[in-house]
Order: sequence, then C-alpha cells, then structure tokens
Amino acid sequence: MRPLTPRRLLSVCAILAGILFVVVVFSLRLGAYSISSRDIVMTLINRVLGRTDQIPSEFNLVIFGLRLPRIALGILVGASLSVAGAGFQALLRNPLADPYVLGVSSGAALGAILSLSLAPHSPLAMQGAAFLGAAGTIAAVYFLGRRGGQLDSSTLLLAGIISASFLSAIISFLMTTLAGRDLRGMAFWLMGDLSSAPPADPGKWFGWLFFVFFIAAGAIYTTASDLNLILTGEEEARHLGVHVGRVKLVVYVSASLLTGLAVSVSGSIGYVGLLVPHVIRMIFGSDYRLLIPATAIGGAIAIVFADTLARMVVAPTELPVGAMTALAGAPVFIYLLRRRMR
Amino acid sequence: MQFRKSCPSILLLALALTLSAAALQANQAPATPPAAAPRASAQVTDELGRKVNVPAVVRRIVSLAPNLTETVYALGLQERLAGDTDYCDYPREAAAKPHVGGPMSPSIEAIVALQPDLVLATTSINRVETVDALAHVGIPVYVSDPHTVEGLLAGIRKIADITGASAAGKSMVDDLQTRLDSLHAALHGRTPSRVLFIVWSSPLISVGQGTFIADALKLAGAESVVKSTKNWPEMSMEEVVRLRPEYLIFARGHDDPDAGSLEALRKKPVYRDLKPVRDGHVVSVSDSIDRPAPRMIDAIEALAHELHPEAFAALHPDSATQQWDFPALLYTGAYATASAKGGYSCGL
Repeated sequence: MRPLTPRRLLSVCAILAGILFVVVVFSLRLGAYSISSRDIVMTLINRVLGRTDQIPSEFNLVIFGLRLPRIALGILVGASLSVAGAGFQALLRNPLADPYVLGVSSGAALGAILSLSLAPHSPLAMQGAAFLGAAGTIAAVYFLGRRGGQLDSSTLLLAGIISASFLSAIISFLMTTLAGRDLRGMAFWLMGDLSSAPPADPGKWFGWLFFVFFIAAGAIYTTASDLNLILTGEEEARHLGVHVGRVKLVVYVSASLLTGLAVSVSGSIGYVGLLVPHVIRMIFGSDYRLLIPATAIGGAIAIVFADTLARMVVAPTELPVGAMTALAGAPVFIYLLRRRMR
Repeated sequence: MQFRKSCPSILLLALALTLSAAALQANQAPATPPAAAPRASAQVTDELGRKVNVPAVVRRIVSLAPNLTETVYALGLQERLAGDTDYCDYPREAAAKPHVGGPMSPSIEAIVALQPDLVLATTSINRVETVDALAHVGIPVYVSDPHTVEGLLAGIRKIADITGASAAGKSMVDDLQTRLDSLHAALHGRTPSRVLFIVWSSPLISVGQGTFIADALKLAGAESVVKSTKNWPEMSMEEVVRLRPEYLIFARGHDDPDAGSLEALRKKPVYRDLKPVRDGHVVSVSDSIDRPAPRMIDAIEALAHELHPEAFAALHPDSATQQWDFPALLYTGAYATASAKGGYSCGL
C-alpha cells in the first residue's frame, strides 16, 4: 500500500471533483428541452450576478427548476449510498456488501412507505422512518448471517437477499391494501428514481439533506484509520488499542442513516454501494482514509452519469435510474462473487 | 391489442387477493347448476374481430370495466347485471353488485360462479389472458376497443343490439350524436386550444394520438400537444416545457383529489412556473372523460365550454351560471365543488 500523504489525498479528491464537474456540465447540457452550451453559461452567469430578469423564464425553469435540483439529488444519493456501501463492507468484512443486496434499501423503503401512510405530510418523519427501517434490517441480517458465532460470507448474502424479498412482499402488500395511494408512482419510486420534485422550499430541503450526509459520512471518516486496522484482523486491532465495538457501532448507525437518507428521497437504487467502492479500491488502494472521500465523490459521479443516461436513452420518456445502475452493477456483482469462489 | 401492462409483483399479489375473494364468493354460489338447456344463439363479431356466440336472450351479464358497467346501466339493463368489478363505482348502485375482483386481475372462478351468459370486457383496462381464460371455459366475451368517440357510440349500439336493448341504444346514441353535432356547430371556426392532458401526475402520463381521449379532446375544441403513437406515453417535465401547452387538463377523481387544483399547483415546485399554471389555464374535468361510456359526452361538452366560453356566449347569455350547468364540473381559478355530480342526462 502506498503511504497516504495529505497531498495524495487532496490530489485524488481534486481529480475526482474535476471529473464530477465535467459530468455535471454534461448532464446540465442534455435533456428533452434543448439549450445551447452558450445559453447555459449565460444563464448561470446572469444568475450568479443576480440579473434574474435577463433569464428567459423557460431556461430558468429547465435549468434551476428541473436539471440542477436533479443533479444535486443525484450527488447526494450517489455519495450516500457509496459511503454506506464502503461502511457496510468494512463492518461485515465482506466486499460484496451493499445496501441494496443486503436488503437494507428495502427496509428503508418499507419504513418510508409506512411513514407516508401514517404521517403523510411530514418530510423529515420519512427520513427518520427510513433510517429505522435500514437500521432494523441490517441488525436482522447481521444476526441471520452468522453461522457458529462467526459471520459467514455466503450465509450473510443469502440472509440479505431473503430479507429483501420478504420486505418487498410486505411493501407490495401495503401498496395494494393502502387505499388512496398512487400505485404507479410508488412502483416507479421503488425502482429508484430521481425525477420526483423537491418540496416547496428546495434550498432549505437540500441544506438539511446535505447536513445529515456530512454528519454521517464525517462520522464514518473519523473511524477510517481504525477500520484499516480492523480489516487486517479484529484481535490485532484490539491489541493495538482500537475500541472495536464502538467503531462498529458508529459505522453501523452512520451507514444505516446514509441508506435511509438516500432511499427516502430516491427509492432503492441498487449496486452503487457495491460498484463504486470497488472501482475506487482498484484504482487508489484500500486505505479507508482515502477510500471514504474518494468513494463519496465517485458515487456522485456514477449516479449523475447514470441518471443522465437514464434520461437520454429512451427520450422523451425516462428510465428509472435504478434500472441503469442494476444493468451495470449486477454483472459486476456476479464477477466479484465468482472470483471469490475460486 | 393494447392491453395494459403493469408491475408483475402487484399483479401477482392482486391475483392472490382476488383468488381468496373468489373462494368466498364461490361458497355463496348455488350448489346445483341450472338445467343446461340448449338455447338459441347468434354469432356476433366483437370490436377485436373475434367471433362470439351470444345467446339470443341475454339474462346474466358480467361487466369487467367501470365504463362498461356505466353503459349497461345507461341502457337500462341493470337488472340483468349479475356482477361487476371492484372499480365500478358509477352509478352508485353498481358498487353494490357482486364483485369479481379488479379489472386487471378478476377471478375467473368468481365470474364462472355468477353463471353469466355474456361477459363484457375492454382493451383499455382488461388483459387478454382474462378474455382467453373465459373463452376457454365457454363463456362468451364481447371485447370493446374504442379508439374514437365515434367508435364508442358504435360500440354502445352494438352492445345494446346483442343484449336486446336495441331501441334504448338507438335513442341514446342518436341523442348523444345530436349533442355532439351541436357542439361541433358551436365550435366551428375556433382555433383548437393546445392542451396537455394529464392522465396521471406521478409519473407524468399523457395520452397518445390513437386514444379515445385524444379524439374527445378534438371534439371539445382542443388538440393534444403530445404526438406519441404510444397510447399512454410517460412524459418528462422538460418535455412538457418544450411542448408549451396552453392548458393543462386533469382528469379528476382517481386517488389524487389535488390533481388539477390550481391552488395546489401554484404551490408545487416546477408546476408553479409552467406557463399554463401562471396563466390560470388549468382545467379539471370529470374522470368520465377517461371512461368510454355515455357520460363521456358530458365531459366533452363541459371541457368545450371551459376552453371556448365565447363560443357559447350566445347560447348561455348568463355566463356566470354557465359553469354550473354540467355534471362534469370545472374550475379555472375559482374552485367549484362537486355538487352537481348527477345522473345521466340521457338514456335513463
């Protein structure tokens, strides 16, 4: 492993942020409504300079009402799911762990749907319920996934898959029986979708979501060097003075919170939490001090890119972004699984 | 055939639920089947071109869609309606009939247990598997497939003919046609309004050119901005901005009471910045517009009055009361409550 210097950390993050910027510009440019690059730049400049009266109202609506909120949501969801994935992989010491594969996303979705039917008009209640669903599911999967007191990789994955299908069955049951619910919209949301409009005050709403994200991702980041030690062996880490139980608790709560956050705004988008940490590990190594921030930016890139493709491939209609990530992620999952079995 | 497709898991669940409902209803069916005396029957061709043997005297009808239930009532055949679906809510008495499940996944057993001699189905909401399964057990199924309002009227005539209600069918359809003709005359020379018809708001679904709704819009002096060849195209919000509709038209009812409420839309991000919402050009029309049944003509008239009030000024000098004349209520700006949700203005 190459030693991690602050310089290396910063340069890796800067490179990834540069790629994210390019993807964002690309995403801002493309859509059913065509706006030239020049118009986009002019609109952005006018907005920054406060000359809103000079922006045509349709440009204003498309860029600031539709595309930018969607990109911001993509960044939030991609970063949350990827950091949660990296966290679960360390917690369970299993590189195949991912919020979607482990059923955690389904648990969060169940929580969100329950809160929608019990308290329909309180948005933060939905995030809270999704967090509880995610935390409950990962606890159940953790205990179901043990064999002879030890975490067993394939038992854990099976426990996750079974939990996901069990929770999906409950969700289908609720969606069919709850009267007055918008079925098609929910089915779309369950597949993972970024098209839902933000509530009346998008600025404040995004502020809250990103605040929660930075708290949870920051909490995982504080445990990064401990995670490195734990991954080489829990006993050794303990001897070196790491509070293994406390680190695991922090990662467990934070990763569940990140999953709940992502699912409550975008439904279950699969495989990002698996794919992104792996790609980052392959390129930059598995030092968690670098992996966590790089994974966050990488996840943002992946989702914004996937969502742009989802908007483009069947234009003027849209695919749910979850379909795009599953198309890319499921084959990678199979590949990793087979490589481990060898 | 354009039978609607849906999420398989929902379907499976619905199937399981209807199967259990069927088990309940099967218990209530008479224990002994009636004497199977051969009866005279006539071969008719349904709207998909299928040949169906329908008894000369139809005594027990099962309707598999809300619009067909409405049609049966409008023809005065309600005594012979043996059963309908969970969605059949108009007229209100229809909800009290024995139900065979939802239109997408009715219980074949429950239908058989009702011993119908004719089942009415439609391509717009039923599935081909249901029709095939019923045909397989020897129950005649007449499938309607309206793509235009003219086709709808012809279908009503046909259903009236095979159920022995020809006279009622003819007088009702003639009456509806007269109303459409006078509407056409009143709208003569008016430029059609460019509208976006919203079937469903999340995800946003509109209507394609081949649907009876697109045809109904034309008759109401409107033109859908969506030129899709798909029947129920899913739209992105950007596409809506690009198409620049003058009016947004919502079908009221379903599950979303807010749909089409101008006040609600003015608070909703993105929607509040759309030109039709800023201009107050939001029309909420009775959900009978997406049910091809006689009541659809009411909705067409109401929509025409809303989009082209000046065309009817001479007919209704007191324009203030005009909005209240129609069972299908509208509001642009002012919210009118659903007080006039009345019965048929024709046929009954």
